[in-house]
Amino acid sequence: MSKMIQFTIDGRQVTAAKGESILQVARREGIYIPTMCYLAKTSPSASCRMCVVEAEGVDGFVLSCNTPPTEGIAITSDSQELYSERQSIMKMYNVNHPLQCGVCDKSGECDLQNKTLDFGLDEQTFAVADQRRDSKVWGVLSYDPHLCIMCEKCTSVCNEVVGSEALFIRPGGYKSEIDNTFSKCIQCGECISVCPVGAMASTDFEYSSNVWELEKVPSACAHCSSACNLTYEKKEKGTATLGAESIYRVTNEDDFDALCGAGRFGYDFENRVSEKDEDAFAIAVSAFENADTIRFNSMISNEEALLLQRLKERFGYRLINKEAKKYQEFLNAFTSVSGSSLYSADLESIRKSDYVVTIGSAVSTDNPMVRFALSVAVNRRKSYMAYMHPIEDEMLRNLVTQYVKYEVGSEEGVLAMLCEMIVDESAKETHKAFFDDLDIGYVSGESNVGEEELELLKKKLVRRDDPVLVIGADLINHSNAVNIAKMAGMIERHSAFSVMIIPPETNSLGVSLICDLDSEEGKSAVGYNVAADFVLSALGDGEGDLDMPALSQQEGTLTNIDKRVVPMNAALAYHGYELNDIANALGMKSEHVIDYTVQLPQESGFSQVRFDDLPNHYTDVGEEVRGYRLAPMVSETSATVDAISDIREFNGSVIYRCDPLMQFNPFTDKAHQIIDEALLRGSEQFAVAARIKDGERVRFTVGEDVYERVFKVDERLKGTVALNPSFDSSENYESYRYNQVKIERV
Amino acid sequence: MSFEKFKDRNVGEDGYYMVDIEDYPETGWGKFKQVASRSLKGELFVGLWVVLREMFKFDIHTVQYPKEKLPIGPRYRAVHKMLRLFESGTERCIGCGLCEKICISDCIRMDTKYDENSRKEVTEYSINLGRCIFCGYCAEVCPELAIVHGGRYENASEQRAHFVEFEDMLTPIDALKAGQQEEFPGFGAIIPGSDKSVKKTPLAY
Repeated sequence: MSKMIQFTIDGRQVTAAKGESILQVARREGIYIPTMCYLAKTSPSASCRMCVVEAEGVDGFVLSCNTPPTEGIAITSDSQELYSERQSIMKMYNVNHPLQCGVCDKSGECDLQNKTLDFGLDEQTFAVADQRRDSKVWGVLSYDPHLCIMCEKCTSVCNEVVGSEALFIRPGGYKSEIDNTFSKCIQCGECISVCPVGAMASTDFEYSSNVWELEKVPSACAHCSSACNLTYEKKEKGTATLGAESIYRVTNEDDFDALCGAGRFGYDFENRVSEKDEDAFAIAVSAFENADTIRFNSMISNEEALLLQRLKERFGYRLINKEAKKYQEFLNAFTSVSGSSLYSADLESIRKSDYVVTIGSAVSTDNPMVRFALSVAVNRRKSYMAYMHPIEDEMLRNLVTQYVKYEVGSEEGVLAMLCEMIVDESAKETHKAFFDDLDIGYVSGESNVGEEELELLKKKLVRRDDPVLVIGADLINHSNAVNIAKMAGMIERHSAFSVMIIPPETNSLGVSLICDLDSEEGKSAVGYNVAADFVLSALGDGEGDLDMPALSQQEGTLTNIDKRVVPMNAALAYHGYELNDIANALGMKSEHVIDYTVQLPQESGFSQVRFDDLPNHYTDVGEEVRGYRLAPMVSETSATVDAISDIREFNGSVIYRCDPLMQFNPFTDKAHQIIDEALLRGSEQFAVAARIKDGERVRFTVGEDVYERVFKVDERLKGTVALNPSFDSSENYESYRYNQVKIERV
Repeated sequence: MSFEKFKDRNVGEDGYYMVDIEDYPETGWGKFKQVASRSLKGELFVGLWVVLREMFKFDIHTVQYPKEKLPIGPRYRAVHKMLRLFESGTERCIGCGLCEKICISDCIRMDTKYDENSRKEVTEYSINLGRCIFCGYCAEVCPELAIVHGGRYENASEQRAHFVEFEDMLTPIDALKAGQQEEFPGFGAIIPGSDKSVKKTPLAY
C-alpha cells in the first residue's frame, strides 16, 4: 500500500497517490490550471510552462505537470503574478502567429485562440522578422509550420503513444519546425488530433468545414476489436441537399485515448439507401422462411447477434460464423484450464506492464491499439517487449526488445516451451503428462527457437511485476488451437502472466459469448454480409440482395478487446430495412434492435443495462467510463493439457493472411481516404524463391479460393513469407493464416 | 458618450406651416350646417378640377413603377450582393463561415474546399431568401466586406432557384471592370475616418 500525500491547493485539502503530479490532482479535484503542452496520455514534456503554480516556501514558480506534491505543501493555482506570467507566455506564443483564424480549420476549438482570449490579449506589442516556411503534405497529414507553436504534443504522441518515432523536431531557434520521417509514419493521424492549433491538419478535411457547423455523434469504431471511442462529426454536404448528411471527420478524446488511421480516416463506409425496397424485403422474408442456415461475420453488434440467436432458438436456424466459432472454441478451451470465462488482461494492463510477450499476431496491422499499448509500455514503463512471430515487423522495430522468430506452423511447440519456462510447480504437477511428454530439444529444433533465446527471455523476466502474454489469431486459427488454448489457460492460472486473446474481428468476443454457433451448414443459407444464397449486405453498390445499414448507421453495442460492452450511436440516418424488421416480419416482437441490449445473456457476463443508460465518457483524469465491463464467470477446472502434436513443416512459397496498414475489411476499403490495392506483398527473398518479379500478376490457390493478384516487392519485409490481404473479401476465415501455395504467373 | 443628439427630435422649421382646419362641429345644428354647406358649395368639383388641370399640363409626378424606381437609401437592406476586390477582381469572400454562423433565420449555407492556391475557396453558397429576414447581421459580421446588402427589393420570381445563389449576388466581372461596383456605404461598412483608429500591427517592421 503506497502512502497517500496530503497537501492543499488554493486552501483546499487534497490527497495525492504516489506518482501523481500536482496537475493531475488539481484536475481530479476540478481545479483549473491552464496548460498548452500537457497531454494526459503522454509523460509531461514541460515545454510550455503555462502550468506553473506557487508553492509555499519555494522560491519561484513550480511546474505542476511534472512535480509531485510533498506532504503538507500549500499550492496556489492562481494569483496576480501567475496571471501575468501566463499572460507573457501567451504573448510569446502569439508572436507572428498568422491572423487567419477566419479560415483556419482549428478556429473554434483552438487552444491558442481560447487562451489568448482567456488572458485578455488584444494586442501584440512586439514581433520578429518572419521567414518563409513551406507547408508540407505527408499523406493524410498536412503541416503548416507558420501556425505551429512548437508545443511538442505531436512528437511526444508519435514517440510515446504510437511508437513510430516518425515526427521529430528540426531545431533552429525561432525557425524550429516539425519534420516527418515519412517511411516510419503509419498515417494514424494522432498528431492531427492532439495539435492544439491548426498546424497539423487533416489533408482531406482541411478547409472543408468550420468545426462549429459539425454535429457530433459519439460512437465506437467498428473496424477492429478495440472498438475505440470516437466521435463522428457530420453535417449536410453542399447547399442544395436536404437531410443528406455526410460524415466530415472523426475525432476522439485526444487527451486520453487514441485512434489508428482506420478509425480516424475510414469513416465513410455507410450504406446510402434512399427508401425502403418493399419487393426486396418480401423476397428477403421468404428467403428467411425457406432457409435453414444463417451465415454471418463478426462485423455485427451484440444486439443483432442476440437477435440471430433468438431466431435460432425459435426457428431452428443453424448459425454459421466460422471465425467466431473458432474464437469461441479457443475461449472455451482456455476456460477449461484457466477456470475463468474471460482472459484477464486488457489494453490498460499492457500499458502498465513491464514485460510483454506477443505471440502469433501481426499486431501493427491486426490490432493497432495493442501496438499503441505496447508503445506506452515500452516508452513509459521501459517494458521488456518480446515479439514472437515468423515475420519480423519493421513497423515495430522501435518497440521490440527481443524478436523471437519461429518457424511457420510451430506455434503450439513455441507456446509449450513458454509454458515450461514460466508456469509454477503446481502446474507441472497438474499437467504432468504434458510436461513429461514435452521434448524441448525437438521443439526447439523444429521451431528454430534457440534455447538461449528462451534463456534470455527467462532471465529478463526476473523482478518483473506485471507480465502480459498477448495471443493473436495465428494461434486461434491453428489446427491445434484447442490444445494451444489450454496452454494459454495454464499460463493464466499458474503464472504471474495475465493473458490477452485478441479477438480477430470487431465483435468476435461478443458473438462468441452470445451465439450458439454451429459448424455444419444446412441446405440453403441466408448471409448477413457474407456470401450465401440470399445476401443481406451493408456494403451497398448492389453487393447484396437486400441492403442493410452499416455499423455507423446502427445503434447497438460492441464487445471489445477490453471485455467492455461499448455503445455505438447511429451517425447517419438509414432509410431502408434492417435485420430487426425482418425478424419482426418473421414473428419476433421488438420495436428497436436496442431492445435486446438488456437481454444480453447474463450467464456470459453481460449486465442488465438498457442501451440508453450506457455511459460513454471519460472523467477529468482520463478514466474510461464507456458502457460496462463483462463479469468473468469462474468455473471448475478439470481439463488437462494434452501432449503437443508433431510440428508440420511449411516449405516452398508460404503466404500469410495479413492486411496492410489501416485496412481491415471491405468497409475500410470503401472509405475514400484509405486507398489500397489488394496486392500480394513479399520480400526480395520471397520473389527470388518463388521465381516472380515485382509487378507481375500471379495466381495461387488457398483452400478453395483462387486468387489473382499483382505481386509487389516490399523493402520493409524480410524473410520468405509473403502477405496476402483479405480486406477485399467479406468472407470470414477460420483457417490457419499461413498457407503453402503454388504461385504461377498469369 | 452623450445621448443628447439622439434625444433632440427637433426636425427644424423650414417649410413647415400650420394647416387651417376648422374645429369639428359639436352640436346637432352645427353638424347639419356642415353637411348642408358641403353638399351645396360644390367642393367636390374643386378636387376634380385639379385632376383635370394636371392631366392637361402633362407634368405628372407619378413614378412609373416598375419601369421607374425611386432611389433607395444606402442603409436599406435588400437582396444581398457579393463584392469583388477592386484591384484583382477576385471574390472577397474567404469562406470563413461567420455569416452562416450568425444568421438568425439559418438561411445561409455554404461549402468550402482547399483550392489549388492553398486558399479556402467557396464552392457553393446560397441564401434562402424565402427565409431571410434581411436583418443585416451577415453584412455586419463579414470581416472582408464581401457580403453586403444591395438595393434590389423585389423578391418575386417564377422559380425558387432564383432565391439565391452565389453567382447571382456576385458582381459580374465585366461590371467590375466597367467601374460599376461601388463600395457599400450601408450596413456593416467601415465608418468614415476609421483609418485613424487602426493601430499598426507589430508585423509592420
